Amino acid sequence: MSDPITTNSLSRRSWLRLAGAAGTAGFAANMSGVEVLAEPALTTALKHSGKRVILLWLAGGASQLETWDPKPGRPTGGPFAKIQTCVPGIEISELLPKMSTRLNETAILRSLNTKIADHGTAYTLMDTGRAPEPSLNFPHLGALIARELGQRDSKVPDYVAMYTSTEGRRQGTAGFLGGRYNPMFLTDNMIPADIKRLESISDADHQDRAELRDFLASMFARQHSHPMYDAHNSAYQRVRGLMTSDHLFDIDREPQSMRDHYGPTQFGQQCLIARRLVEAGVPFVKVARAWWDSHGQNFETHQELCADLDHCLAALLDDLKARGILENTLVITLGEFGRTPKINGSLGRDHFASAWSCTLSGCGIRGGSLYGKSDKDGQNVIAGEMNAGDLYATIFSALGIDHQKEYMVGSRPVPITDFDSEPCYEVLA
Amino acid sequence: MWLDYHSGAQLTIASGVLPPHPTFRIQLMRATLTLCGIIITACGLSSAADTPRDLARLIDGHIDQKCPDGRQAALLSESAFIRRVTLDLAGRIPTVAELEQFRNSESLNKRVELVQRLIDSPDFAFHHRNELDTLLLRRLEHNDQWRAYLLEATQQNRPWNQIFREIMLPEDACPDDARPATFLRRRIRDLDAMTNDTSKIWFGVNVACAKCHDHPLADDWTQAHYYGVASFFKRTFQTRNGSLGERFDGRIKYMTTDGDELEAEFMFLTGKKIREPKLELDEAKLKEYREAIKNSEKDDKAPSPPKPDFRPRAQLVDAALADTEQDFFARNIANRIWARMFGRGLVHPLDQMHSENEPSHPELLQLIASDLRAHGFDLRRLRQAIAMSDAYARQSRLLDDIDPPSEHLFAHAVPRPLTPHQLSLSFRIATSNPKELTGLASQNDWEKQRQELERQSEGVARQIEIPDDGFQVPISEALWLSNNPQVERDYLSASNNRLVGYLGSIQSNEELVVAASKSILSREPRPEEQSALVRHLESKPDHRSAAIDQVVWALLATPEFRFNH
Repeated sequence: MSDPITTNSLSRRSWLRLAGAAGTAGFAANMSGVEVLAEPALTTALKHSGKRVILLWLAGGASQLETWDPKPGRPTGGPFAKIQTCVPGIEISELLPKMSTRLNETAILRSLNTKIADHGTAYTLMDTGRAPEPSLNFPHLGALIARELGQRDSKVPDYVAMYTSTEGRRQGTAGFLGGRYNPMFLTDNMIPADIKRLESISDADHQDRAELRDFLASMFARQHSHPMYDAHNSAYQRVRGLMTSDHLFDIDREPQSMRDHYGPTQFGQQCLIARRLVEAGVPFVKVARAWWDSHGQNFETHQELCADLDHCLAALLDDLKARGILENTLVITLGEFGRTPKINGSLGRDHFASAWSCTLSGCGIRGGSLYGKSDKDGQNVIAGEMNAGDLYATIFSALGIDHQKEYMVGSRPVPITDFDSEPCYEVLA
Repeated sequence: MWLDYHSGAQLTIASGVLPPHPTFRIQLMRATLTLCGIIITACGLSSAADTPRDLARLIDGHIDQKCPDGRQAALLSESAFIRRVTLDLAGRIPTVAELEQFRNSESLNKRVELVQRLIDSPDFAFHHRNELDTLLLRRLEHNDQWRAYLLEATQQNRPWNQIFREIMLPEDACPDDARPATFLRRRIRDLDAMTNDTSKIWFGVNVACAKCHDHPLADDWTQAHYYGVASFFKRTFQTRNGSLGERFDGRIKYMTTDGDELEAEFMFLTGKKIREPKLELDEAKLKEYREAIKNSEKDDKAPSPPKPDFRPRAQLVDAALADTEQDFFARNIANRIWARMFGRGLVHPLDQMHSENEPSHPELLQLIASDLRAHGFDLRRLRQAIAMSDAYARQSRLLDDIDPPSEHLFAHAVPRPLTPHQLSLSFRIATSNPKELTGLASQNDWEKQRQELERQSEGVARQIEIPDDGFQVPISEALWLSNNPQVERDYLSASNNRLVGYLGSIQSNEELVVAASKSILSREPRPEEQSALVRHLESKPDHRSAAIDQVVWALLATPEFRFNH
């Protein structure tokens, strides 16, 4: 049972591009060695570049009309006005005043047409970049990023997902990439399960018994060898390191001014944890904010939730920028879909996947850009239509990951983004 | 891709130079035996094995013939063998009492007797139930009723073709029992899931690719096959009270990659098409029946819906069982059982039975599939035969072989992660007081005990990842074993009926370490391990009970415990 998931050699083009970027042009001169050398050389180059992702997941589906694609004055527009942003020509909802002054590192995409508008399937679609397929358990974005950007023996987690609301709680899965890339999932507590030592064992004893285990494992390894045993050992060898990362989840270690900067809401605190995590080298952090599913009273709901989003996203971007890590950190706001332009009888908006918006900020993104267009009532995309695969291709490209890369799952090559996906070059730096 | 072999040629070479080495002579005898097997096959008596032992010999003949001379790993030690075979047939590690009973037996036939005892044990049915639950339902849901049904089936050793009929056609096979319908009920709203999962699980064929285009690698699977199989499920519905039925009409239309719209035919994987007779119903009657079906879907008090004469799903069941030519049904389960025991299938991956992915040992697969068919799809018999073979009892790859034979030759064992139930049960067994929990060695009420162990281990089992190819132990598991209070409470408790409590009563550190190693790893410690573990105990004279905890924990956290090797 060898590892069924192997990576095809990267194409010559991407190799050259990335090798050039990593300053290893000497390597590239010897093309005869590419097939053999390409992958490890590249992976190392990429992984050392320290790129990270924070996904702010707007669970339940935020309204594009009350956020990034307002239509005031139209029958579908709702009560809120639009405001001019710091980027000439871009206007967003008045519910996002802080973000309106901070679009310089952010791209807005207004032309998602993802077609699927039920929570379960759409969640899978937007968290994997493709429609679910019964015979293929496709990894979620966090697992893909963890696999592509994570370090093998990292002392920090690869993939942390925070979701404290009980509504629509959905845990990401590493699918065919294997349990190594499953998320550390935070639900009831702000700290992952089993990361803290029990009081009944001293730290010295905890370490002693881990060393005893390592010794017994090494005895076994004298006679037995298999990649599965290596994975087992590496999981146990990461335990002590991960336990030392528990402080990353402790925002009391931040100065009061920094905690004030993110604010007292749970979402704000989680964003602060997310920043602490990416700063320490965690490649992927997802913070889910619920519950945007405003079938009734859409406008009150968005007044409240947008204020939280606006404040926390602005605080996060400011902080990342001040620390000089925004250029290596991609911040995404995304949900499973948007909301109907039509306002229903309960003053709500329903599920809508035909013309909705998301944002990308920071790493690899052309700041202040706007892509795609919906019609005057927001019913249809009229320019730059994108599907989930295109968005994923854009995300991977922003991070320097070849979006056409393939995994071998058993005997089947599976591309990291769905067939025929194209990155949106207009928003890439 | 696979080496073709000609038994005659091999024999000539072998008989030309007769080496004095005894193992070689045994191999030669086997080759001769296999030759007989082949002759028998040629005469059309491929299932000539009478007993499981005969079948085991035939299996060895096939494996030996393909394996390069002298490259087969040695047979397992007694301790290693009882661990492997107890995991495979009872779904747990052996108790210390079972280990000692086996090692102390002076019977020349002790392996065969052990296999027989395990096959006849109550453990076998529980273990087989757990495996079937995972195969059929994965974790789509946990359903105690369904698990009870599967347990009844495995306790009675119900034939596999009968289980297939009960699960795929419950309304005919067991109309008063709602439990077996769970397999389809769980997928009823998803035609693709019914189509794909049925093909994969029961026939070893993954047709999912062929939904959108003809299979890119295997000419065997076209869109016509995909929609052909899907057609058999198109009319299936569920009544409000949970039974299944089929509608009177409904066909699938699909687009080909060339953009033509076609109506799917009822077509099995072999290409066999089933013609639907013309529906002899007038419009009014058809409308009435449709209404009745609709009512039964909405109202649990509605009368049973009418049954059409032509029912596609019933046709699928018949077609699958009648296919003795390509024999997907028998070959699939034979291959899955093989993979359960050997860590990989004769066809691998297990859902890739097609002409571009030949079995490593085609005659062998044919042999065990035919044997299953000839013996009433008795899955126990095949497992028993495999467990009795030498091929099954080989060591896993050793490090000193720098270029070991490929896994598909089965010259050495392929390590396998324990399944969630195997692991959870084994944690329980390993950490019990070995004097109290003796298992099959002496416990009269063992079946009840085993049932209790199943119950106790269920919670942990559900948290453990189901291993697939390329399995990696997730970090969450290592963190859980390292820091979860449940581990301390359940596995490291110092009460008298648990291992830690028992070890605390042993004065000598040397004896303590031996007892811990036998309970957890089913073997004595090696000298270096012995001294390291004793040293650990000696280093903490002030808190001996904590030191014992640590020894037990370290042994539980080894790869040696986590895998079947």
